Amino acid sequence: MSFIPRLAALLGTLLFSATLWAADIDAQTYGYPLTNPFEATIATTPPELRPKLPEDADIKQADYRVRLRPEREFQLPDNFWAVTKMSYRLAEQNGPAPLIFIIAGTGAHYSSGTPEYLKKLFYGAGYHVVQLSSPTSYDFMTSASRFATPGISRDDAEDMYRAMQAVRAQHPRLQVTDYYLTGYSLGALHAAFVSQLDETRRSFNFKRVLMLNPPVNLYTSITNLDRLVQTQVKGISNRTTFYELVLAKLTRYFQQKGYVDINDALLYDFQQSKEHLTNEQMAMLIGTSFRFSAADIAFTSDLINRRGLITPVDYPIGEGTSLTPFFRRALQCDFDCYMAEQLIPMWRARYGGGSINQLINEVSLYGIEDYLKNSPKIAVMHNADDVILGPGDLGFLRRTMGDRLTVYPYGGHCGNLNYRVNSNDMLEFFRG
Amino acid sequence: MAKSFPTLALFAALLSCGAASAQTTSVDDDGFKQPLRELKFNPGLNQREFERSTLSALEVHDPLESWNRRVYHFNYRFDQWVFLPVVDGYRYVTPGFVQKGVTNFFSNLGDVPNLVNSALQFKGQRAMNTTARLLFNTTLGVVGLWDPATLMGLPKQREDFGQTLGFYGSPAGPYLMLPILGPSNLRDTTGLVVDYGINQQINYLNVSEASSDHPEIIVLRGIDQRSTTSFRYGQLNSPFEYEKLRFFYTESRKLQIAE
Repeated sequence: MSFIPRLAALLGTLLFSATLWAADIDAQTYGYPLTNPFEATIATTPPELRPKLPEDADIKQADYRVRLRPEREFQLPDNFWAVTKMSYRLAEQNGPAPLIFIIAGTGAHYSSGTPEYLKKLFYGAGYHVVQLSSPTSYDFMTSASRFATPGISRDDAEDMYRAMQAVRAQHPRLQVTDYYLTGYSLGALHAAFVSQLDETRRSFNFKRVLMLNPPVNLYTSITNLDRLVQTQVKGISNRTTFYELVLAKLTRYFQQKGYVDINDALLYDFQQSKEHLTNEQMAMLIGTSFRFSAADIAFTSDLINRRGLITPVDYPIGEGTSLTPFFRRALQCDFDCYMAEQLIPMWRARYGGGSINQLINEVSLYGIEDYLKNSPKIAVMHNADDVILGPGDLGFLRRTMGDRLTVYPYGGHCGNLNYRVNSNDMLEFFRG
Repeated sequence: MAKSFPTLALFAALLSCGAASAQTTSVDDDGFKQPLRELKFNPGLNQREFERSTLSALEVHDPLESWNRRVYHFNYRFDQWVFLPVVDGYRYVTPGFVQKGVTNFFSNLGDVPNLVNSALQFKGQRAMNTTARLLFNTTLGVVGLWDPATLMGLPKQREDFGQTLGFYGSPAGPYLMLPILGPSNLRDTTGLVVDYGINQQINYLNVSEASSDHPEIIVLRGIDQRSTTSFRYGQLNSPFEYEKLRFFYTESRKLQIAE
């Protein structure tokens, strides 16, 4: 065999195999500076490595409200007046453009950091953008969720789908060429279930769907997150709590710096200083933020469904009523407790029994494995060091998604979404 | 397929556990790096540190809670129905550089109480820094419309009378939710009144005196302040926003006083 056919054969094999295997980004060429997954999760990308984004003032955007569950106005206590209608944010282009929906992650509001960043990224690339709160968030649960017990992915996706239809109906003049969908963290899992629902309802015919750092097995993910507050943190004693420890570090950091300056680079800069947090402390911090989400979910779900686990049924609540006693109770409930006390009982009652393994299979990505396998329009971007994954999860994604999976070597949980390489890959995927 | 998966994962976990004892950083066959492996966990997984920390963080002296919560809801509504629409209108009709000029102008006025309070706390360097800022911004920056001092490396350093009181050991007192102005406490509310008095007395650039004839200056100042404050009611998106706001406010004031 002469040289050229051999080379052609080699290239052919390489190309052929590339269509089967996931794209693994090489650690050296990737160039992401934070190799510690906890640091990446908390601080995200250093500002100079982020993509160029449009200014807020240059974006034609507004928050809108739509009434999806009219009965909630009468069911909910007075101090929930602000969340009886579903709010969302729409950024419009002038003239016709494709529209992308962004679904937020666990407990997150549509206007929190990551959806805002994604909005700017896609708006800058010429999309109309709609930002939606997560089905697990307080405002979505009260205003748009039928059962207000998030966790059954199919039901959550159905609520989300109705919300999206209502959003479209509220803007009849918006000129949309195509519909796209994305979500990060738990929102990525919702995006996949929404996309599957869309195959039969055909309301949007999503052209492409991108899942960013999705959980694979929901139970693994919540177990990991619940476990993060169980790390052994140095410096905690009977006289100092974890918050006091972190705040004391922050105070010393500012004292050394000479002045208080809160900006994008603060967390990154803080981690470079002498006062930086250890891995256990960072894990605890991440775990803490998820525990607050769990408390909000447990409280809200219990209140709307009048289960009486946290708030006594018919307890009079007005605008002046202190919710602190219920907060105290709710924050002792982690995801596992919410699942055992509220999710599983409701699921059993509505769907006629079933084991916990059945539930896990149904609500995790396993439940739509065949759909994911046979839908070329869906892709996944994930990190090899994501804290919400367990052993074998990446393997599942590799088998299911094939070459539609991109695995980045670093980034923790969603820490590299605002890294230039990732943002380019995202835009490239939607460009097609 | 889906059924057999947990078993598979278990095997993978067992296998990689064996490998972990041999080397500290191991990567699974599928490329997973197991970030939780290197953490030291409390062996019984029964530590209640999150609960302990959070429960003690909820201990803020708040005897007027019922009243404060009503004011919180009033502020929330006022913000949504009056304040923010006005701010949006202001942003819509005013060119960007004019907004910047307005912000700089009021910020320069604000450096007067910053200077007084830095001096009261004997923070020499900070007082010098603020004096230099006032000089440069009022002259070179044309009565403060432009902020050349920050570009020269003299960052704005806030000090108010509430911080001065805290510096001399005054306790925070009961938590207060002020109408329109937002979270505060007895000490900081006193500070606000004193700072207002300082501004009236010094009457820098004659603004305080002019304000009494032209209340629109005070309105503009309020709009400018709302426009530059990024906080929105409801942004913490939690049924317990009141508690969280109270904690953040209390802790951030402690930090500002200590620093």
